[in-house]
Amino acid sequence: MRNSIKLPFGSWSRLRGHNNEGILALVLFALVGTISYLNPVFFSFSTLFSTMRGSIVPLIFALGVLIVIISGGIDVSFAAIAIFSAYTTVKFLNDGAIDPGLLGITLIAVLFGLVLGFFNGLVISLFKLPTLIVTLGTQSLFKGILLAYIGSRYIANPPLSLDEVAKTNLVTIIGEDGRGAYLHVLVIPAIVLALLIAWMLKRTMFGRAVYAIGGDSEAARRAGFPVVRVQIFVYGLAGALAAIAGVMHVTLGRNANPQDLVGNELDVIAAVVLGGASVFGGRGSVLGTTLGVLIIQVINNSLILAGVPTAWQRAAVGILLIVGVGIQALSAKRKTHSRSTSSIASKVLED
Amino acid sequence: MTTNDLAPIIEVKNVVKSYGGVRALDDVSMTLRPGNVHCLAGENGCGKSTLIKIISGVEQPDSGEIFIQGKLQGRLTPLGAILAGIQVIYQDFSLFPNLTVAENITITSQVANRASFFSPKKSKIDAQKIVKELGLNLDMDAKVESLSVSSKQLTAICRALVNDAKVIVMDEPTTALTHTEVGYLFDVVKRLRERGVALVFVSHKLEEALQVSQDVTILRNGQHIISGLAKDFDRESLTMHITGRQVNESREITAPIMTVQPLLKVLNLTLGGAFEDVSFTVHRGEILGITGLLGSGRTEIAEALFGVSPARSGTIEVDGRPVSIRSIQDSQKVGIGYLPEDRLTQGLFQDKSVGDNLIAASLDNHRNKWGFLISNSVARTIQEMFTRLRIKAPSSLVPVRSLSGGNAQRVVLGKLLANHPRVLILNGPTVGVDVGSKEQILSLLRDEANNGMGIIVISDDSPELVAVCNRVLIVRQGKIVDELSGSNVSVSRIQDLTTA
Amino acid sequence: MKDKRNIANPMKTVNNQADSLVRGLIGRGKSNQGTARMLLILLAAFAFFTFLEPEIFLNPVNLSNIMIASPEIGVLSIAMMLAMLTGGIDLSIVAIANLSAITITTIYSELAAVEQEQATSLVLIIIILGLLVGVGAGLLNGFLISYVGIAPILATLGTMQIFNGIAIVWTGGKTLYGAPEQLSAMGKIGVLNVPVLFIAFVAIAIAVATFLNKSSLGRKTQLLGTNSVAATYSGINTKLVLMMTYVITGLLGGVAGILFLVRNPTSSADYGSSYVLLVIVVAVLGGTNPNGGFATVAGVVLATLALQTLASGFIAIRLSAYEYAIAQGSILILVMILDQLSTIRKRKKLPQKSLKVKTKEAAS
Repeated sequence: MRNSIKLPFGSWSRLRGHNNEGILALVLFALVGTISYLNPVFFSFSTLFSTMRGSIVPLIFALGVLIVIISGGIDVSFAAIAIFSAYTTVKFLNDGAIDPGLLGITLIAVLFGLVLGFFNGLVISLFKLPTLIVTLGTQSLFKGILLAYIGSRYIANPPLSLDEVAKTNLVTIIGEDGRGAYLHVLVIPAIVLALLIAWMLKRTMFGRAVYAIGGDSEAARRAGFPVVRVQIFVYGLAGALAAIAGVMHVTLGRNANPQDLVGNELDVIAAVVLGGASVFGGRGSVLGTTLGVLIIQVINNSLILAGVPTAWQRAAVGILLIVGVGIQALSAKRKTHSRSTSSIASKVLED
Repeated sequence: MTTNDLAPIIEVKNVVKSYGGVRALDDVSMTLRPGNVHCLAGENGCGKSTLIKIISGVEQPDSGEIFIQGKLQGRLTPLGAILAGIQVIYQDFSLFPNLTVAENITITSQVANRASFFSPKKSKIDAQKIVKELGLNLDMDAKVESLSVSSKQLTAICRALVNDAKVIVMDEPTTALTHTEVGYLFDVVKRLRERGVALVFVSHKLEEALQVSQDVTILRNGQHIISGLAKDFDRESLTMHITGRQVNESREITAPIMTVQPLLKVLNLTLGGAFEDVSFTVHRGEILGITGLLGSGRTEIAEALFGVSPARSGTIEVDGRPVSIRSIQDSQKVGIGYLPEDRLTQGLFQDKSVGDNLIAASLDNHRNKWGFLISNSVARTIQEMFTRLRIKAPSSLVPVRSLSGGNAQRVVLGKLLANHPRVLILNGPTVGVDVGSKEQILSLLRDEANNGMGIIVISDDSPELVAVCNRVLIVRQGKIVDELSGSNVSVSRIQDLTTA
Repeated sequence: MKDKRNIANPMKTVNNQADSLVRGLIGRGKSNQGTARMLLILLAAFAFFTFLEPEIFLNPVNLSNIMIASPEIGVLSIAMMLAMLTGGIDLSIVAIANLSAITITTIYSELAAVEQEQATSLVLIIIILGLLVGVGAGLLNGFLISYVGIAPILATLGTMQIFNGIAIVWTGGKTLYGAPEQLSAMGKIGVLNVPVLFIAFVAIAIAVATFLNKSSLGRKTQLLGTNSVAATYSGINTKLVLMMTYVITGLLGGVAGILFLVRNPTSSADYGSSYVLLVIVVAVLGGTNPNGGFATVAGVVLATLALQTLASGFIAIRLSAYEYAIAQGSILILVMILDQLSTIRKRKKLPQKSLKVKTKEAAS
């Protein structure tokens, strides 16, 4: 018996991916295929582009949540950080009648996001507190501060530069019937961020540290990883990403509403978990997360197309989450069961 | 294999370390020479772990000196120790289950080098190099969690070497290995010695001390008992230094009640990969010993009888009637009780009181028809177990965490006895237990046997088996290879057969 | 294999032969610490607000309001405490409560529209139906968590949305009127100036505490929360006990739904949407260690009162609901930090030695 289970076709396993990304891709294609078959209107550039546009904000959120989950924690305060950072930035800029452009606005928001994220990170890693409960607390804390002291009113006229971006499309395709399919320009930063984070996770020691800590934090400590520092950065980075997502949200929606975003965390968490990340840490990939986000967007879009009320959309994501994670859990059980019955040593030394 | 005269690579002199008033290390010294294996031996609680923590910089000594390559160390930090070439391989190997073998091997050296980037390709090449140098065959891309224990250990050793280790400390290295795997390990050790690496085996197993070490240091209760060349020791002297007593070969056994049908009859029990074709009987009043190297399958046999991981084939009969044991509840119903190997994680509820622990396994016996507990009944059982096992505690209300090892073990025993089992299986009944409690527990077992219980003791403490077992079964690689009874039950015979 | 069923990394506990007195103190101190601390906080909060706005705060109507608003939060917090006791969490309890309330309201009002007499006589059965909805929801949660093996946070996050979705569709997104009058009538009665609602709350708390300490299943639940491996080796059917925990949580959710109706004869799908965090704050404050294994019902009751006092106090000194949210978040974090600091301080006195006997991977 060999040390590791070698699959009959080596390339097969690589296609499947470390976290079953191959299976996810299949699910996505199957979904699109089925829905398009049932409702041919679905299969169009218009749907494709609007799905991609709808995925921008959740994807950027999901990247932050992914990093936190790989490190072995969970962060439910990301939506609160996002709206806090974006709203506060817009409000101050509006009040001061300054407009530094999309990049400037994003940078300022990211600063807020970093501060809030570091707060999470410090509290969690210095005192070794349970991450879910802490971020539930900070979610309420941040939102409360936003509404109580910064502003609770809807801002209908965000800075002009944002408005300009909101109207910019990357690709425009006008169909024969005169209807247009618009691919928004903000998909570019979303894709760039995804690629950056993917590279960071694979090719930097910080990224490997995140995986290591998620795999076994005590072993990471013994190996010399600066565990506390990495954890603080992880939450800071998640905060920064959330802030970026917040600015995108405000840009795309062309308004800043402090009551937005909080309450829709399920979609993002579901996407990350479906994408193969384990709540116990150490596993997950950007590709899987992206596929997860797309799957949820497709489902939501198709439900809208089918005229299903929004209430059912939430429930649908809930069911999807349970089914997806349930399958992962059951197959993990089967794997440990079969592994545990083989313990005879194999020839491991060459002579 | 002789020792050498090379300059010592590490010298520990007169180290003292206390925790909250308790002396964990009291004037301990040790010398490590390159290319030598140094066995640091002693029972649990003797201070071995603390000494290792001090050598690796995890803890600071209260007083004493540490010299690395002749240089006196000021304040040794974990990173400082790693940079000085000291690598510790803990019992759990401290590997990352979710990363590949190649990553595990190379990642800690990347950390030590304060690298910012990581190249999977380069890491694979570097890992492959060291693996080839040691003559091993590991799959670079396999996730560590899918490896066998032996492969994990070898991965950990490779990791230590990539970090340019000059000293590798291995904490209980053969605890979880089968006989063959131990052989592989010792082969690798030979190659390491040829490279001039100094090794420290932290162990309480005599085999390591005698077979593969050149130097031995023995600690007992934090005190440095003796250091010397391995060849100057033998089994008896080692045991004497480790336990502080002469090897006690006194034997006091009970008289089994030889009924026609044995109390417990096991026939051709098999669980693929763990044990095969296991058959034995236990009579009322009999104490049967089962021993073998760890990993031989002895724990698995016990846990199959207790329903933790049921056997795939074979029969079990209790009092002549065949029973099916597919779960712990099944075995409890049939009257089998089991004292687990690791009482901390498997046997005790640390934050709960002694009383809560004592009734934890017999709650259903005290239920009224509404599912509520009858408090007199519960109190009576608690009191009964408290006195019968002579638990030393102010009352049954104190948390079990505050008890000594010996008392805590009695609580676990009490929990089992509260169920009035017919067959009692004990796995390592006196591990980590003080001498006085040890005697009491053994005498308690004799009492229970005399009252008609059938008892199985799994242990690698040969004197203990000799003291109390009527017969002893030797398990090797999942099969029962020998049975000793009567005057054949002796420490030397047991140890010969176990390590054959 | 490490048991990482809870979100946080459990700290490995140690056994040693050193200072037994210190350890004895730690053990006995912890369970009383939560309750005593809670009582202190409650009294302090009370005194604080009385000092600031005595006329508004000590007004009998205000006090009565505290006693009327607490029960539903309290029962939900006790449910959350149970889930946390076993190292998990139940995010769906508010949704379950709403679903129960909606079930009762709908069935009753439909029946009453047809035949008032029948509706009134069947009130008890209708209420039990509402409780059964809670039990059913709990069964689903328990099954997913215990038998399928989904992490409690994910399972209850999913079921929360499902129950919520069902509720929204059922009510059409509207608030339903027409709850049984008997229930609202109960909300107006008081015994010796104590609202019946509050007495019911205390009775439920006592029932749960009795269950936990005096019933076989309750004890098993506690043991499971303390050390699930030892519980398995002690012959406890941990899968069944874990499932039953969530069934009881669901049942308590159903009870909370009834309390909703007693207080307000209306039910809707998004009532109490801010309750989930509040309930967690109460459970953590009341002495539950979010890492599982430890709880005192009394602490939770006191914590409920304390937070309700805080809420009404905030209103009295004219702070906004947003500031109450800030307070909740801050209290949660502060309490956890303080808890952790005191545990670390006590642990520093003990040497880190553990009796490690690793069995082969095959057996784990």
